[in-house]
Amino acid sequence: MSIREELNQWMLENLTGEFEQIRWRGGPGDEDSSPELRRAWEQKFGEAGWIGLQWPKEYGGRDLSLMDFVEFNEEYARHGGPGRAGHIGETLMAPTILAYGTQAQKERFLPGIKNGTELWCQGYSEPNAGSDLSNIKTKARLVDGHWVIDGQKIWTSLAHESDWIFVLARAEEGTKGRDGLVFLLVELDQPGIDIRPIHQISGTAEFNEVYFTEAKTEADNIIGEVGEGWKIAMALLGFERGASTLGQQMMFQNELNLIIKTANENGRANDPSLRRRIAEAHAGLKVMRFNALRMLNGTQDGSTSKEGYISKIFWATWHRDLGELAMDVIGADAEIIEDELSPMQKLFLFSRADTIYAGTNQIQRNIISERALGMPKEPRGNTNG
Amino acid sequence: MPPFPFQEDHEMIREAVKGWLSDWEDGGKTLHRVAKDGHGFDRAAWEGFARDQGMAGISIAEQYGGADMGLLGRTVIMEETGYTLFSAPFFSTCVLAADIIEAFASEDDKADLLSKIASGDIIISALDGRGKLSLEDNKLNGTISPATDAVHADLILVAIQNKDNDIVLTGYSPNTAGLSVTPYASIDPTRSQAKVSFDNVSLSDGQAIGKTDETAFSQTLQIAHGALAAECVGGGQRCLDMTLDYANQRVQFGRQIGSFQSVKHKCADMFIALESARSASYFAASPDLDGDRTAKFEAALIAKNYASEAFFKIAGDAIQMHGGIGFTWEYPLHYFFKRARSNRALFTSSEDGFQMLADQIGLKSNTSAIMGK
Ligand SMILES: Cc1cc2nc3c(=O)[nH]c(=O)nc-3n(C[C@H](O)[C@H](O)[C@H](O)COP(=O)(O)OP(=O)(O)OC[C@H]3O[C@@H](n4cnc5c(N)ncnc54)[C@H](O)[C@@H]3O)c2cc1C
Repeated sequence: MSIREELNQWMLENLTGEFEQIRWRGGPGDEDSSPELRRAWEQKFGEAGWIGLQWPKEYGGRDLSLMDFVEFNEEYARHGGPGRAGHIGETLMAPTILAYGTQAQKERFLPGIKNGTELWCQGYSEPNAGSDLSNIKTKARLVDGHWVIDGQKIWTSLAHESDWIFVLARAEEGTKGRDGLVFLLVELDQPGIDIRPIHQISGTAEFNEVYFTEAKTEADNIIGEVGEGWKIAMALLGFERGASTLGQQMMFQNELNLIIKTANENGRANDPSLRRRIAEAHAGLKVMRFNALRMLNGTQDGSTSKEGYISKIFWATWHRDLGELAMDVIGADAEIIEDELSPMQKLFLFSRADTIYAGTNQIQRNIISERALGMPKEPRGNTNG
Repeated sequence: MPPFPFQEDHEMIREAVKGWLSDWEDGGKTLHRVAKDGHGFDRAAWEGFARDQGMAGISIAEQYGGADMGLLGRTVIMEETGYTLFSAPFFSTCVLAADIIEAFASEDDKADLLSKIASGDIIISALDGRGKLSLEDNKLNGTISPATDAVHADLILVAIQNKDNDIVLTGYSPNTAGLSVTPYASIDPTRSQAKVSFDNVSLSDGQAIGKTDETAFSQTLQIAHGALAAECVGGGQRCLDMTLDYANQRVQFGRQIGSFQSVKHKCADMFIALESARSASYFAASPDLDGDRTAKFEAALIAKNYASEAFFKIAGDAIQMHGGIGFTWEYPLHYFFKRARSNRALFTSSEDGFQMLADQIGLKSNTSAIMGK
C-alpha cells in the first residue's frame, strides 16, 4: 500500500469523534484554536507512527523518500488534518538534532517529538535582533554544570503551549555578531522563565515574550560547540524549506477553492477584474507547485538552487495577496465579524505575517540579490542597538 | 545534471543552439541589421538553423523525419531563440503550424507537410481567422492582422469558422487569386508582421487540411502558444543578465549602482518573476502532462500568460535600471522590451488568457468575453 493510501485509511478512521471539530483548524493564524485537543491529536498521530517518517530507521523513522513524504503531506492536508502542534519539533528541531546532535541528545529528545509528548518553540528573535538576528544579547554562562541564561526573547510562537525552547544566546562576553553564540535546549517549565502572551493583529495571542532570569539548563543541552550557535541556527532555518511546502500548498488550494466558491455564489465571479485576480491566484499556485518540484528534484547536496531562493518570498507574497483577494471577493460584508473571525478574515489578517517571519520580503530580496545574483553586499553599520 | 525536468539530450541541444545563436547575434549587431533591412526575418540564418543544424524538426515525430524530442525539446529552442531574439519563423512554422497539422490533418498531409517542416523546406504562417474572415458561398473575405511570418511564408494556413461553427483549416499559396500579403513595420521590429487580406478568395483554391470543432481547435492553439512562455523566459533572462552586467559596472555616487538596495531589490524582483515564469514554462512542457489534454491546455494557458506578464515587467525594469542607455536605439535592450510587449498582446492576449483561465477553473460568468463565445 502506498503511503498515501495508508494515511488515507488512518485519517478516515481517526479524524473522527471529538477530533472532527479540529478538522481544517489550527493552521497558521489559527494556532490558538483548541490547544488541548490538538495536543491530544499530536499524541495520537505520534502513537500511530506518523511523526518522523523521514528519520533513519534506528530512530524509529521509515527513511521515507522525499516524493513519498510529499504525498504524505498532501494527503494530510487533503483530509483537512489539524494544524500540527508538534510541527516546530518535527520540522525544525528534529532534523537539527539528527544532523548536529550527540547520540545522547538523539536518544533524549527524538522520542518526545516522535510521540507527540514534547512540544517545541523557537527562541531566536529579540527586541533588538529581528532581521539582524546576529545582534542577540541574551546571555548564557556555564556555572556548576549548568547553563545559566539571562535575557529576553520576543515573538516566540506558541511558547505558552510548549515544553521546550531552543535558544540562541551569547556565551562569550564581549563577542559581537555571529561569534561567540550557543544553541541551547531549555525546558520552559521552570522558575527562571516567564512567558507573557502578546496579542496580535487578530486580537488572539499566539506569540509571546519570553523572559529569562537565571534560567537553567544542563551543560549537555547544547547543540554543537560554544561559538557554533550561528552555524546551527542557520542550518535549522535551512530545514524550513522542503517537502512540507507541498502540504502547505494543499491548504492554499483549499483556501482558493473557498474563494472560488464564494465568488460563484455571490456573483462576483462575473466581475472581470476579480475574475482575472482569481485566475492569477490559481496560476500562481500552480507555479508555486512546480517551483517546489523543481526545487525538490534539483540539488540534493543541500546547496540552494535558484528556485530555492525564490520559494519563501513567492509563497509569502502570493498568500498575502490571496488574503486581500478573499476580502475583496466578499465585498463590504467582509467587514462584519459574526462570533469570531471567519476563515477568510483570518486569512486576510494572518497572511500579513507571512511576509515578515522567517525572513522578511526585504531580507529575502537582499539574500537573492547577494547570493543568487552575486550583487555587492549590504554595508553594515555599528550594531550597538 | 540537467535541470528538472530536462534530460541529458536536451542539454546537449541547448549547448549547441546557444553557441550557434551567439555567433548569429554577433554581440547584438545582427538585430540592428534584421530590424532595419530584414523586416524581422533573416532568411540565410533560418536556412542554416532549420536545415543545416536540423533544428526545425526538434519536436516533430520521427516518422516524419523529426527528432521527436517532445515539448521539452522545443522549450529549449524557444528559450534560446528568446535569449537572442533569433529572427526566424520557428514558432510560426515548427510549433504553431506543426501542432495544428499534427492534430487535424490527414495522414497524407501530415506526411507531406510535417516532413517539409522537419527538413526546413517550408515556412508556414498559421493564422487564426475566427471572427475576422467571413465565409459565404465558398468565398472568403476579410483581413487578418497582425499575421506573423506571412511575408515570407510558402504556405498560409488559416482557420476559418463556418456557419455550423466548425473550424475549417485551409492552406493557401501566397499567389492565390484574391489573397494579398502586405508587410508592415511593427513596433517589435525583430519579428516579421504583415496584413493578410482575402478578397473573394475561393475556398476551393486552397488545400483542405482538416476540419474540427471550436474546443479542440482552441486547445491545440493554446498548447502551441504555451511555447511562447519559453521565449519569454529566454528574453527575460537576457534582460536580467544585461542589467546585472550593467549594475556591476556602472558607478555613481562613488559606488557601483548594484550596491544600492533599490537596485538590488529590483533585480531580485526580476529574478523572482523570471524563475517563476521558468517554472510555469517547464511545467507546461513536462512529460507528466502527456496524455491529459485538458491539463496540458491549462498549463499552457498559465505558462503563456504568466511568462509574458513576467517578461514585460522584467524588460521594463531592465530599461529603468539602465538609465539613459536603456532608452538608446543602439543598445539592444529595447528589442527585448518590444518583444515582451508583443508577446503579451499577441497569440491570445494575457487579458483574454486570464479570462479563459477563469472559465477553466470554474468561475461562472454570464458574459464570457472571449473570442465571441
Ligand atoms: C506571526 C509571527 C510569528 C513569529 N514567530 C517567531 C518565533 O516563533 N520565534 C522567533 O524567534 N521569531 C518569531 N517571529 C519573529 C520574526 O522572525 C521577526 O519578526 C522577523 O525576523 C523580523 O524582525 P523584526 O520584527 O525585528 O523587524 P525588523 O528587523 O526591525 O524589520 C522592520 C522592517 O525593516 C526592514 N529591514 C530590516 N533590515 C533590513 C535590511 N537589511 N534591508 C532592508 N530592509 C530591512 C524589514 O524588512 C521590515 O520591513 C515571528 C514573527 C511573526 C510576525
